[in-house]
Amino acid sequence: MLSSIFSTLFSMRFLVTIVRLATPIVFAAIGTFIAAQSGIGNIAIESIMTFAALASVLGSYLSGSAWVGVLFGIGIGIVTVMLIAFFSMKMGANAMLIMIALNTFADAVAIFVLYLVTGEKGTTASLTTPVLGSIDIPIIKDIPILGEILSGQYVLTYLCWIIVILLFIFIYKTPTGMRLRACGLNADAARTAGINVEKMRVLSLVLSGIFAALGGIYLSLNYLKIFSRGMVSGQGWMGVAANGISAGNYWILILSALIFAIFRAVSIIFSSNSAIPTDLVNAIPYLAVFAILTIVSIVNYYRVKRGHVEEQ
Amino acid sequence: MTDKNTSSKYSKEYKLSISNPKLFDAIKMAIAILIALAITFVILCLISKDPINALKTILLGPLSKRRYIGAVIESFISFAFAGLAAGVLFKAGGFNMGAEGIFIITGAVVAWIASSPVTSSPILHPILCYLGAMLVGGILMILPSFLKAKFGTNEMVVSLMLNSIYAGVTAYIVRTFIATQQRGSVSSKDYLASARIGYLYEPLRISACFILLIIVTIGLYLMMNKTKLGYQMRLAGVNPKFAEYSGVSAFRLSITTAVIAGVLCGMGSTTQLLTQTSYYTPAQSLVGIGFSGMLLSMLGKNNPIGIVIAAFFIKYLEQGAAILYFVDNAVPSEIVSIVEGIIIMLISSQYFLRRLRERQLLKEGLEEHAK
Repeated sequence: MLSSIFSTLFSMRFLVTIVRLATPIVFAAIGTFIAAQSGIGNIAIESIMTFAALASVLGSYLSGSAWVGVLFGIGIGIVTVMLIAFFSMKMGANAMLIMIALNTFADAVAIFVLYLVTGEKGTTASLTTPVLGSIDIPIIKDIPILGEILSGQYVLTYLCWIIVILLFIFIYKTPTGMRLRACGLNADAARTAGINVEKMRVLSLVLSGIFAALGGIYLSLNYLKIFSRGMVSGQGWMGVAANGISAGNYWILILSALIFAIFRAVSIIFSSNSAIPTDLVNAIPYLAVFAILTIVSIVNYYRVKRGHVEEQ
Repeated sequence: MTDKNTSSKYSKEYKLSISNPKLFDAIKMAIAILIALAITFVILCLISKDPINALKTILLGPLSKRRYIGAVIESFISFAFAGLAAGVLFKAGGFNMGAEGIFIITGAVVAWIASSPVTSSPILHPILCYLGAMLVGGILMILPSFLKAKFGTNEMVVSLMLNSIYAGVTAYIVRTFIATQQRGSVSSKDYLASARIGYLYEPLRISACFILLIIVTIGLYLMMNKTKLGYQMRLAGVNPKFAEYSGVSAFRLSITTAVIAGVLCGMGSTTQLLTQTSYYTPAQSLVGIGFSGMLLSMLGKNNPIGIVIAAFFIKYLEQGAAILYFVDNAVPSEIVSIVEGIIIMLISSQYFLRRLRERQLLKEGLEEHAK
């Protein structure tokens, strides 16, 4: 029994699964990260993913084109973050409460819309929608081991990793990225230097909304090929957790997102194995996030504490 | 338009000098409800053939039969407990979102005690269920708040992850220790008759839980407004730095509020299970109540009495929407969430109706000056 688990753990399929499961978490993580860089804690990622997942499927169904569906999803992502920006910046509402509220009724709103379109409250399985496929890269796919991982992945997975690299360049190597980070480090200083802080924050929120939306779109239009209720199931929050662990370090952010994906993959493999109760196996990814986040914060706590002692 | 700019610049001073903020809040709430209902009506026009009747059913339907209003009274109590739990946490400035998980895991405790023959007394048995759930709830709620207060861990993410972990653990406990083979989905054995809570006034389905809710609400109101702990909570909620420098221990405060919230969640889950169900289904019986509590707390502005009224209001609308769905299944009952969402967005906006308030204040100021 255990040997079969181990053989799966070290197989090629496992690595392929990790890459697939990592995509939405990485999207959620970079979405949280870009907003955090400008000084906004975007905790609405989970709800944006839910909205975008549904909107993209419906967009694809209505238009007959999967890519129009993607645009629909991204549009909804932008609308959601603009709603947050409007209420927190223009209406003086507590952004945190607005985002908690959004997350809490995201599922109900999604079910409401789903019911209006399909007459069901569970999935969009009854709709025939064009979906996004995967890409085989000509030469790389013939390389024995690497080919299996690098080729034949879903379209949005490739897009995800392209964005990861472009975003790194944007944040750390361009003037706009520098300005954006300045807003997060010290908004008053940035304002004194002539940076329009509000504009920068709206820009980072919009990017955040687009990335989170892509995460949701990947789940519905690319990975599962349908929308089903509760499909995001905490993956947005894993992105928020990855951002918490990263403490502003981009590559640690990506690494934490990958580690969470590994635990999701482990949980999937274990759940097909009857030796361990499935109820507990399903909780493994959440337990991993909980444990890693807690350990990192305890380590940081003692590091800061020791630092203070040395200074004195 | 320069007038608008200056007013936003000085809005903070206006806020401090407002003469009757309570009245203003009430007006704001009323207008928010009206706007939400107007938007709901627009949505109904789009999806229902008979929007006027649909809105009427949502608003007045629950009053049409005694058993409808009885169902509202019976079901709003556990929601109110969830709202009170969230209110206590939010009031002290915490973002522990663990109520959902605590509801689900204390459900297993209740089901365990209620289905085992610990006592045959119909009074003692429910009380034991309550005590068990309150104890476990109070203890388990501490974890995210403790980690936040001690190590600065992100309590929101931690509490959400714990919700999923507790859900898994609960399903495991119920499946392994108290499951029955009779039903399709995983659920506990039937509760013993002695554990069920009967009605004090059957036609309106008023039970002892209703009285418990009233006592707890008044107790919390007094605690928040008349005691040292309540003052510390409010202080920490408004300005944590100031609270810390005034000698309020942030650590002790967050642990205390977490325990209170956990105990309230335990009360809520016991009430829900012993009045509304005859066995516990982890994937169904208590799902979503903890999260709704946070919305209720926002609707009630963290005021215990406001939260209980909000819980009744939302359950009333949900009952109305359920009746409507029964009559006209074009309108899903989730429409209530949309009403709720719009109201929350509007009342948590400080600048909503600000112009109105400022004009009023200006008038009052001029009158005072004239004197």
